[in-house]
Amino acid sequence: MSNKLSNSVPTDREVVLGILNNSDDALNKLYIGYFPMVLQFILNNNGDEDDAKDVYQEGIIVLYNKIKSGDFELSSKLKTYIYSVCRRIWLKKLAQQSKKTNNISDFEDIIATDVDVEDHEQKEEQFGKMQDALHHLGEPCRTIIQDFYLNNLSMQDISEKFGYTNTDNAKTQKYKCMQRLKKLFFQS
Amino acid sequence: MDLESIIEDYLNGKLTEGELAAFEQMRANDPNVDQKVVAHKAFLDSLKDYATVVDLKAKMNLAHDQLDVDGLSRKLGPHPSFIINVWRKNRAAIGVAASFILLTLVMLYSIQQNTQQIGSVELVKRDLAILKNSNNNLIRKINSAPVTKNLKPANFGGTGFALTTNGYILTNLHVVDGADSVYVQDNQGNQYKVKVDRRDTQYDLAILKIVDESFKLPALPYRLKQNGVGIGEDVYTLGFPKDDAVYAKGYVSSKTGYSGSDSTQYQVSIDVNPGNSGGPLLDQNGNIVGVITAKLNLVDGATFAVKSRYIQEILNMIPNDSLGSTVKYNKKNSLQGLTKTRQAEKMQDFIFMVKVYK
Repeated sequence: MSNKLSNSVPTDREVVLGILNNSDDALNKLYIGYFPMVLQFILNNNGDEDDAKDVYQEGIIVLYNKIKSGDFELSSKLKTYIYSVCRRIWLKKLAQQSKKTNNISDFEDIIATDVDVEDHEQKEEQFGKMQDALHHLGEPCRTIIQDFYLNNLSMQDISEKFGYTNTDNAKTQKYKCMQRLKKLFFQS
Repeated sequence: MDLESIIEDYLNGKLTEGELAAFEQMRANDPNVDQKVVAHKAFLDSLKDYATVVDLKAKMNLAHDQLDVDGLSRKLGPHPSFIINVWRKNRAAIGVAASFILLTLVMLYSIQQNTQQIGSVELVKRDLAILKNSNNNLIRKINSAPVTKNLKPANFGGTGFALTTNGYILTNLHVVDGADSVYVQDNQGNQYKVKVDRRDTQYDLAILKIVDESFKLPALPYRLKQNGVGIGEDVYTLGFPKDDAVYAKGYVSSKTGYSGSDSTQYQVSIDVNPGNSGGPLLDQNGNIVGVITAKLNLVDGATFAVKSRYIQEILNMIPNDSLGSTVKYNKKNSLQGLTKTRQAEKMQDFIFMVKVYK
């Protein structure tokens, strides 16, 4: 395979600093820079474009969490890290679908990333549980919780948006919603 | 309700100094409150993680929309031709098959040509795929005397070495073939029951798995060597021809196995004894280059070892998930640069005596 990936990729330092500073631009460049590499790997190993997108996004989330957690050291090239993480995730998915995982065509070097991927799986599980809980929460609770905790709106904004007479009423409503969400989350 | 909102303010650092002191007092006095704080924090954290991931996914989807995925797929995807794909995916297998056919042809045409190795007479009958007993497999017969029914008489012994930290052990198939039960014994004398997890008759390899799920080794010090080794390379092995580990050293004398017809093996000039079967063959830097398998019975020091690359092949047959952390192909390992004595010392904890009851 001699298809060189010619897209311009940002330097590793740029990416790490950019993510630490919550730069959308850095994330954008990172995403565009390495997607072809992962696409190539997945397409040549029994996957399609959608698989590539899913696996790649999971890989980027692993990298993102790793950088944000502060214990990220550039012991390898970022490219190698991303490739290894995505490879591991994809092999696990293949194994889950009980497709064969030998004869993997590789395009890059690989490093061990088992621990990071396992951490990620736990987080993924939590994510799924929260998604389900929010899904079952129903309206208007879902929007209230999302506005307050995810979009960081103030209680003032929320009571105006939903037409509550005062913020205390909104707070009571939010409290009730939160109790239900907790119940749903811990039940599942 | 009040408590909940106070907890939330507390976690967000929104309490005034007086409130903070009062609340912390209350938290210290009432384990119920403390537990609620911890639980609420954990819940808020997962909510926050959720928010982060949702946000991240939204941003990534934006970035994804800028890509010309179809164009990239055409450029990077597998070749549309079926034949080329089959060739690319199965290059190795096709290669092995082709060389096998080639070798068979060569052997047919060279019947009259004398093989130079003594002892070949006994090996002519050898089944091509499996090294038979005529090849003097290095199984040690522990009880050569007539069988007396002792409490635990192991009938046969061999050597094995750890492939993973969670109890996968490699040895020769002929060591454990036809066994009723198999145990391994480590350097400290601890015995573990194992089951034969994989058999590979083609390369005479078997993977054992220690039944005890809690079994755990420290990180493996050695690596599998991916590239072959050259003729003349110094190698050594550790094995259990008796009850203690025995060290033996030698050199690679040929890149092919018996009579040059078996390219899956090395011929090694090394003194091994029954019981060495399944032992690792290591180079100077502590890379595993092969597995001791058999020796010629009339020639001293003509030993055969299965090349390490076939270990990887059999490893690949096990689902990744159950392997845990495995031996990797790598250039660096923690044995590199150590003296032989230190290497052998470090290795000992990862070499097992395989005890077979038939």
